[in-house]
Amino acid sequence: MFSRSGRTGNYAYTVSRVKAKKGLLLKDEDYNKMLQMAVPEVSRYISESGYQKEMSELAGRIEGIDLVEHATYANMAKVFSSILQASQGELHTMVAAYLEKWDIWNLKVILRGKSYGLSVDEVREDLVPAGSLKSEDLEKLMGIENVDDILANYSKMVHVQIPQDVMNAYKANGNLGEIEDYLDKFHWTRLLKSINPSSRPTRMFQDYVRMEIDVINLETILKLKAEGIYGEQVMKYIIPGGKDITPKVATQLANAETFAAASSDLQQLEFYDIIKDIVESDNVTVREVVTEMKKYEIAEANKFSHMYPLSVCPILDYMIHKEIEVGNIRTIARGIESGLNTETIKGLLVI
Amino acid sequence: MAMEGDVGAGLVAIGAGLAVGLAGIGSGMAEKDIGAAAVGAITEDMSLFGKALMFTVLPETIVIFGLVISILCIFVM
Repeated sequence: MFSRSGRTGNYAYTVSRVKAKKGLLLKDEDYNKMLQMAVPEVSRYISESGYQKEMSELAGRIEGIDLVEHATYANMAKVFSSILQASQGELHTMVAAYLEKWDIWNLKVILRGKSYGLSVDEVREDLVPAGSLKSEDLEKLMGIENVDDILANYSKMVHVQIPQDVMNAYKANGNLGEIEDYLDKFHWTRLLKSINPSSRPTRMFQDYVRMEIDVINLETILKLKAEGIYGEQVMKYIIPGGKDITPKVATQLANAETFAAASSDLQQLEFYDIIKDIVESDNVTVREVVTEMKKYEIAEANKFSHMYPLSVCPILDYMIHKEIEVGNIRTIARGIESGLNTETIKGLLVI
Repeated sequence: MAMEGDVGAGLVAIGAGLAVGLAGIGSGMAEKDIGAAAVGAITEDMSLFGKALMFTVLPETIVIFGLVISILCIFVM
């Protein structure tokens, strides 16, 4: 009873911080206003909406669309790090496991940067230190020239063992894809393992993560199908642990040669109703399916955030909303920069 | 006879102590999460200090009830 705060997590403290942060997120009407603006106006608008510090810090070095993109990522990294630092016990374990995807993102940026011969400053611009790895750890990784040494150091920092056959495959063809795919699969597996489904909120968190895996797998299958790739080649990219897309369903979907052929298999999925209209239309785009799935995810997160106030659910809900907000700001800025019309950009937003 | 009076007075004193003590433990347990949440809210927005303080001390009223009971025990019984 008395060890609750220390061992299982300081839910009251972390949730109240997160609730206060959630009040600062952009609303639907903010997006509508931003859609009518030019990029410099968008920059000014977000400066007044919680991104001021990052915008001011970066304004001397970069401008325009790059400033918006970097400032939003820098802000998200700061916010996620503060949540991670604030949490304790079991809660910290779950949040750290969820945010590990940003460690993998950073490792990918560093590896790709090194393989394309980018300078340390150029690589640093694209880092999002929102995970367990601090800026000092990332600086250390960036300071290493050799990919093998970077991976060896990363493995020690986050306690991951990259199998020898994956390393051999990389050494044979110089393709980082094998390593990246392994790390992604490892992240989702470790995240699922880190959640103890002993209570209703943690079970809901686990279900949500499994649904996220489904969305990623569906996106992979549809993207590869659009490129004319199917069967076993698709299956090697499938992340295990999905809720609706079990290995059997994944195999059925992967083996279907076209969208139309996959339609009957897709009907087995719980979220089929959400994407039904898009999938059944003649002109299916993966982007539209993914946007609808993201909207579904956010609706699910909204549902469970209010059910258990002193649990991981409101924290997860906030992190999802924050990530989507950053994605929306970047979509608006990029859309305006590219000259897309308002309705098209609006269709790409996850609101 | 004197022994009986001593036992009675002792039990009243124990009752009075328990009334304050248990009420104190109860309100302490209630304040634990409220206090943590209040500090979290203040960390994000300093202007919430007044409201947060109000909510933190709210369970203290339970101790006052306990204190009233113990006073009644000692002076009325």
